[in-house]
Amino acid sequence: MSTRLLSHTTARARITLLANAKKHHNHRLVPALSCSRFLSTHATPDSSETEPYDVVIVGGGIAGSALACALASGKATGTQKIALIEAFDLSNHINWKPRADQYSNRVSSLTPKSVAFLKRIGVWSELDSSRIAACNGMQVWDGVSGARITFDAAHSNDRSTFLQQVFADAPQSPSSEQGSDQQSPLAWMTENLHVQYGLQKQMLAHKNRGVQLDIFEKTKVQGISANVSSSSPQESSSTDISEWPVITLDNGKKLQTRLLVGADGVNSPVRSFAKIESLGWDYSQFGLVATLEVDHSTSTALDQGKGVAWQRFLPTGPIAMLPLNNGYASLVWSTTPKIAQDLKKLPAQDFCALVNAAFHASPADLEYLCRNIGPDGQPQVDFQKEIEWRASVQELESHAVARQSKDAKPPKVTAVQENTRAPFPLRMRNSNSYVEDRVVLVGDAAHTVHPLAGQGLNQGLADVECLARVIEQSLLSGSDIGNIHSLTPYSSERFLPNLAMLGTVDKLSKLYNTDFGPVVWARSLGLTAVDNMGPIKTEIMRFAMGLEDVPSSAARR
Amino acid sequence: MSFRIIPSRNINALRQLHPNRNRLAPCATLFTATLLTAKSLLEAPTSKLYPGHVPISPLQRGILAVGSAFTALANPLRGDMVAALGETTGGMFLERIRDQMLLDPEGRRILRERPVITSETMQLDKLRELPDGTFGREYVRFLDDQQVSPDTREPVHFVDSEELAYVMQRYRETHDFYHTLTGLPVTVDGEIALKWFEMVQTGLPMTMLSSFFGPLRLSHEERKRLFDIYVPWALENGSNSKLLMNVRWEEWFEKPVEQVQRELGVQPCPQV
Repeated sequence: MSTRLLSHTTARARITLLANAKKHHNHRLVPALSCSRFLSTHATPDSSETEPYDVVIVGGGIAGSALACALASGKATGTQKIALIEAFDLSNHINWKPRADQYSNRVSSLTPKSVAFLKRIGVWSELDSSRIAACNGMQVWDGVSGARITFDAAHSNDRSTFLQQVFADAPQSPSSEQGSDQQSPLAWMTENLHVQYGLQKQMLAHKNRGVQLDIFEKTKVQGISANVSSSSPQESSSTDISEWPVITLDNGKKLQTRLLVGADGVNSPVRSFAKIESLGWDYSQFGLVATLEVDHSTSTALDQGKGVAWQRFLPTGPIAMLPLNNGYASLVWSTTPKIAQDLKKLPAQDFCALVNAAFHASPADLEYLCRNIGPDGQPQVDFQKEIEWRASVQELESHAVARQSKDAKPPKVTAVQENTRAPFPLRMRNSNSYVEDRVVLVGDAAHTVHPLAGQGLNQGLADVECLARVIEQSLLSGSDIGNIHSLTPYSSERFLPNLAMLGTVDKLSKLYNTDFGPVVWARSLGLTAVDNMGPIKTEIMRFAMGLEDVPSSAARR
Repeated sequence: MSFRIIPSRNINALRQLHPNRNRLAPCATLFTATLLTAKSLLEAPTSKLYPGHVPISPLQRGILAVGSAFTALANPLRGDMVAALGETTGGMFLERIRDQMLLDPEGRRILRERPVITSETMQLDKLRELPDGTFGREYVRFLDDQQVSPDTREPVHFVDSEELAYVMQRYRETHDFYHTLTGLPVTVDGEIALKWFEMVQTGLPMTMLSSFFGPLRLSHEERKRLFDIYVPWALENGSNSKLLMNVRWEEWFEKPVEQVQRELGVQPCPQV
């Protein structure tokens, strides 16, 4: 304990020095402030079990771990005493030994902005480039009308000088694509577990070089309270320590922290503790994820559809296939809860047939097939035969069409990896506020989004990037990092962009969740129009790639 | 942050790296698009898809739809015009009927096997030997009374899809079964009542046009009877009954008419 306090003191002293060295405008405030704070920490009498921290992060998911890394790698924040609490065993992540023929079912797309951030905090270089797939193209189409929009990394650079400006030094894929900076991918696909592995490795590296980063794994938070026994008289005189939140762990430890970070997911206990309300709704949809094997020779897209993400909007929800390496792909199929459960039970062969049909067959055919999954998960009709018949009818029609559509076809799914099919509920949530005095929320704890645009993780990383910067700045200016006024810049920078993304994705989901004629007609007209309007398409791409705030952040730096 | 705005001279330098960059490209695209639109108005979108198919351009389709509508209104006995009207306006409504058929096991079977109704496939002589009151016997009695045959239906010409053309064909061929099922007479008001019934069932624009404009030609008395008795019956039964496009009539011949009505959820029309 005493050594910890000692190091705590040196940490403070170092900050003071740093702040002085930087000749910050209010540097004179710093010694006084940190001194009083140190005293108050010191003065807590019955804190034999209550260990003081500067930042306690609840939740060791990607957002929480990334925040720990970002703080540890910062100049000033790296001197702070940080704790990360995770209920599960993080050693799974560090011992992650991927097999080339197996992919985890939870895959995310990382936007150029997220990748740039991961590079900056030293995580990207820890990753295995053979497990990262560059996404160079996207094909998104309407399952009812067939209207389509295509995004292409190569073309985007032709069309927009702005993208050229951005990509002149945008992050490069580590797998060094043969294309130069002209060919920067739209996104990178990788397993969440992989990112976790990189984060964990980087956290341990920080620990080894002396950053005070305590990781409590397999530890649950039992309770959070705003006050310890405020009965002791000298505490009432001290400024604020008694108001610091105390986190009780299930191993009996108590942590008292200047700043409590909730990175603990949708049902965030930290958010409940801070009494922050979260509004939103559950979609009556489930997402089904799975790892697929695909046959690239069956795709009619450029380069056999390697590195192309496919998404088709069906009236029951969008189905998406994201590219992985070695002929694998990741599936996210949003559909009704019942169908999602049925799909999980369906025999592998029929499941693959149905996934293929979901990218080609008419919504009516799909509805018929999905209805004919028995309660035991066995198909009640011959899926293969039904699908082949309908495909032959479609084929016959398409041959006679004079202006034949050149719509690229996704690769055929040949197999589904065992035990990777998993359904999860889809919802939309946004916290009324991201900050409270001494409490801040990041990632899913702050907001949850429909996965159709693949933005959830990227939003979380953007939160983390911003919060780490805000904490660094308040340390440099000598203010209390837990004070709500120090946290407000984070909230004001992230709240609106997150809300805009949530709203956009929610509207898209609702717009496509119908097959009502006039709506289908209008949205198809809109989609086709946008597909033909280069500049607008570029704007949409920038929004989806997380580049919408490039000018401002470029100006900041 | 690794993103950075390049000074404008760098952009110019980049432009020089791309000599094929054409500033007029958007204008050219727009121009081509306009041309394509104009061309596509005058060009049939498909080649010949099935025997009897007459591929027509969207412009021709428009003219034919308007022309046939007026001709059919002036003279409802012009079966070819009524048929042309149905085909030129059917488009997405036929697709909707097809989708409803695809959702039903019987409907799928019909689409897969594509049964046709002719005097040959119906074996009318055999139907005449069925006991009175069975669906088949009453159907053939209806044909004999009206002195019509299943072979007199107009073939489909203007539907630009082989499968939807079959749907249209099937819709037309099964029309006589509707008379047997509902008991509606082949009078002008009886036919209009049946169109109301079909409108509720299928939503085809042609049935709507007939339902709304057909009554204009009726006498005051007929119109009163139509709207007081037939239309309420048609609205109720059309929406309550099973989609009749999904019925394989050929397999119901031996059942008594009452049983067929019960199973399909149709009440016989009020007799006047």
